[in-house]
Amino acid sequence: MRLSRKSRSVLTDIWLVGPATCAMIVLIFIPVIIVALMSFTDYQFGARSFNWVGWQNYIVMLTDPTARHAVTNTLVYAAIVIPASIFLGLIVALGLHHLALKTPRFASGLRAAYFLPVAATLVAMAVVWQMLLHPSLGLLNQLLAAMGQQGPAWLSDRGLVLYTLAVIGIWQSVGYNMVLFLAGLAAIPSDLYDAAELDGAGSGWNRFWTVTWPMLGPTTLFVTVITATGAFRVFETVATLTKGGPAFASDVLVYAMYREGFVYFKAGYSSALTIVFFLLVLLVTALKFGILEKKVHYK
Amino acid sequence: MKKTLFAAALGLAVLAPGIASAEETTIRLHYSIPTIWANTQEKLATAFMAANPDIKVVLDGPADSYEDGTQRLLRESVAGRLPDVAYVGLNLWRVLQDRGLAQPLDPFIGDMKAFDEKGYGPAVRLGQYKDQTWALGVSASTLVMYVNPKLVEQAGGSMASFPTDFDGIIKLAHKINALSPTTDGIWIEPHDWRFQSLLGAYGGRPMTDDESNITFDNPAGIAAASLYQRFATEGGMKSYGSSEARQAFPAGTLGIMLESSSLLNRFVEGAGDKFDVTVLPMPVMAPTDKVYFPTGGSGMVMLATDPARQNAVWRYMTFVTSPAGEKIIVENTGYAPTNSILVNDDSYLGSFYAANPQSRPAHQQIARFAGPWYAYPGDEGVAVNDLIGAALVNVAEGANPETTIKTLAETVRTRLGMQ
Repeated sequence: MRLSRKSRSVLTDIWLVGPATCAMIVLIFIPVIIVALMSFTDYQFGARSFNWVGWQNYIVMLTDPTARHAVTNTLVYAAIVIPASIFLGLIVALGLHHLALKTPRFASGLRAAYFLPVAATLVAMAVVWQMLLHPSLGLLNQLLAAMGQQGPAWLSDRGLVLYTLAVIGIWQSVGYNMVLFLAGLAAIPSDLYDAAELDGAGSGWNRFWTVTWPMLGPTTLFVTVITATGAFRVFETVATLTKGGPAFASDVLVYAMYREGFVYFKAGYSSALTIVFFLLVLLVTALKFGILEKKVHYK
Repeated sequence: MKKTLFAAALGLAVLAPGIASAEETTIRLHYSIPTIWANTQEKLATAFMAANPDIKVVLDGPADSYEDGTQRLLRESVAGRLPDVAYVGLNLWRVLQDRGLAQPLDPFIGDMKAFDEKGYGPAVRLGQYKDQTWALGVSASTLVMYVNPKLVEQAGGSMASFPTDFDGIIKLAHKINALSPTTDGIWIEPHDWRFQSLLGAYGGRPMTDDESNITFDNPAGIAAASLYQRFATEGGMKSYGSSEARQAFPAGTLGIMLESSSLLNRFVEGAGDKFDVTVLPMPVMAPTDKVYFPTGGSGMVMLATDPARQNAVWRYMTFVTSPAGEKIIVENTGYAPTNSILVNDDSYLGSFYAANPQSRPAHQQIARFAGPWYAYPGDEGVAVNDLIGAALVNVAEGANPETTIKTLAETVRTRLGMQ
């Protein structure tokens, strides 16, 4: 039996899209549905039975100060890390892009150095940070002491710990953003700069605003989405350096999820946190694509 | 076809140990913290199998910490492949008992009095809840004072006349702290077990015996919490995290550290030639019959449900907690033993104490004042530990101890459903 051309092309489509779709349904959609169902139970990890508790877990989340703390901390962390690491990533990329024209060897060495934090295992790096930031033995505070300053407890001072973690977060993502921006810069055709110069945009500042920045639009959008989801998902530094402490001062959403589920064994409540987090990231991503995409020049 | 093959293979894999059990029983064993336990577990299993050739002990790959280990056991229970016997933290066996995974041990113990006379009393008492035995305590640790004698002498104190009450200790810590900007007087972690220990030093208990009410909001609890504030304001306690403090003490910049006796070996190694790590017992601030110190460490639970395996597991458990087994544990881990014969009879550990004199104060404190590490009951039991820790941070940073502890007790009661 011969199939018509149209039905053959439909079959090809299914053959191409099918496996990935199946994998997505099995590995993402079904687990999300199970987690969503679990968030309406009081299931305890390893327990033999559970009860349906309706919206109870979500009500607790809204009223519990610990949960609110985790949400605020995540937002503060993201509000610092997202703009700072995008801005610094762009500055470094612009610098290296120009440097590469004069001393390509030196520039590529620097590029590798900036990229190192991305390639290194964060957990191992966390140990290094811990040693650097130790309140009395750490290199940083020893230097401060040599200058006659008493350094603070970077990771165990309640008012400071979140900002210390944010700086580590920036350090970690600047390299990645830089590489993306460098790729974006390399793709800008040089005749655009010539044209801009003819039109009177002579100064570096003008060239940046009229050519570089608009042409980097798609890259910036992508970098923003990547950095934002990364910042909302912050976990490793919290888990290895502070365990959310002292007194929940560095508790963030993903760590709270882990703690409730795997340390406190409250799988139901942890699922509710997961669903809220999932919706939050979904919302941010949708907003960004919905609003920003319209203002980005792709061509 | 593939499926049936797979099922057949699976069936064979399940049957295989069953066939072997005609002559010998194989029991699977779970343990955590390989850095402390790996060698000891191998030695215990070897010694046990030499004495019991009809039982084979297989060690599962260890979990990193007792918390990780408990999670793994819970996961394995969901998958239906629990090990037969497991070492768990003394504050965590209740999680397994709560979920019906730990098997009651009383049928195996039989006559409790005879069992106690064989030295098993302390092991049993660490694993009891409401007059039933669910775990046997294997290794014990207790909160002790680690002291840096060099700093004490520089501050004008002496080890011979070291203060035995908290007022004296705080005064000494103040002097050590004033030595230089890089020295700290004293440190204790804002943590449930440490708080329970200070509470016990003042003769208090965290809960009533039937676990129906919180009792740490009494004068003993307020005194214990106030220590955190006095340590911070008078004794120069910094807001270290636990790993930071555990680096500072062996480095020689921290004068007095109230920590678990299980860290002794690590501190001695870390301090090297810099100073002689000295262990002192905790101050006793109430009549001795009221004082107790909650015991940390590990215990064994029986998870096997098959009678033949249960018997094999029971033989293993009684071997490990016998003087012969406990001797292996003490000599290899530095933990205190849970067999009373071993503690009272120097023929077992005399040479160990001669070589490790700093272990003795901790072991004596356990022999005199060992008490249970209260685990808060119910679904929120583990979660409230962090609330207690957070409240102690607040007190150390200047919150009023009395109101903080009273509010905390109310919060904990609500969370645990006690009111």
